[in-house]
Amino acid sequence: MPFVDIPEAKTLEKTGLAAPWNVVVHNDPVNLMSYVALVFRKVLGFSKDKAQTHMLEVHHKGRSVVWTGGREKAEFYVQQLHANLLLATLEPAPQDK
Amino acid sequence: MKLTATEEGALDIEEIPAFLFALLQAVPIRAASSDPRVENRFFPAPAQDELLVEDWKSFVQPELQAAFLSAREVVQADLRSASELKEGFSMEIPPNHMDPWLGTLNQARLAIAEENHFGEQDLSEEISPDTSDPRSISLFQINFYGFLQECLVKMQD
Repeated sequence: MPFVDIPEAKTLEKTGLAAPWNVVVHNDPVNLMSYVALVFRKVLGFSKDKAQTHMLEVHHKGRSVVWTGGREKAEFYVQQLHANLLLATLEPAPQDK
Repeated sequence: MKLTATEEGALDIEEIPAFLFALLQAVPIRAASSDPRVENRFFPAPAQDELLVEDWKSFVQPELQAAFLSAREVVQADLRSASELKEGFSMEIPPNHMDPWLGTLNQARLAIAEENHFGEQDLSEEISPDTSDPRSISLFQINFYGFLQECLVKMQD
């Protein structure tokens, strides 16, 4: 039986946190401001003040990052915001170098 | 038209003139628009990632469609329970129907705006309904539905 030299197997391990994602809400001229603030409170659990601040940011700046975190939960929030007919997207959060 | 928040948390709408009741009956109909522009607005892309967009269309969009349909059915049932009295029509939105009403009113407003290409300027116009002008009726409809949404939002505050 011939001798086979089996190379030593090596496993490379890479650990680190998954890159975060932003949930962004975009302005649209039809949704009422009070309705948008209510949806923020219901879906994202915001306080009345925080919901108002983000709603005004959407209104004045055209968009607001309402949540940042793991992709799966970001997708869930976007789905919930779409269910309430808000224009929401998810995008990779900018990383600090 | 008289709106009253009941102690049980329902919204009673009484003395609804025939014209406004016809607009209320149109809520689920306008919300069910099959216009492609409306479809795009109801189901926007969640990201730029094409793979995610495809998955979204396959798995999330059918769920959203079912949820929108279910909300419209609740609204239709409430409208069917309305009664016609001497002073006008009368109906109730029970507390557990607030969300379906908010959602369906929103669907209807967005659909009308998309179908008519209404932008921010059109929506901030002061209007008085002119029954001979479809644009005026549509703008009035959006504002009337918006007023009802405001009442429902206030009740949830």
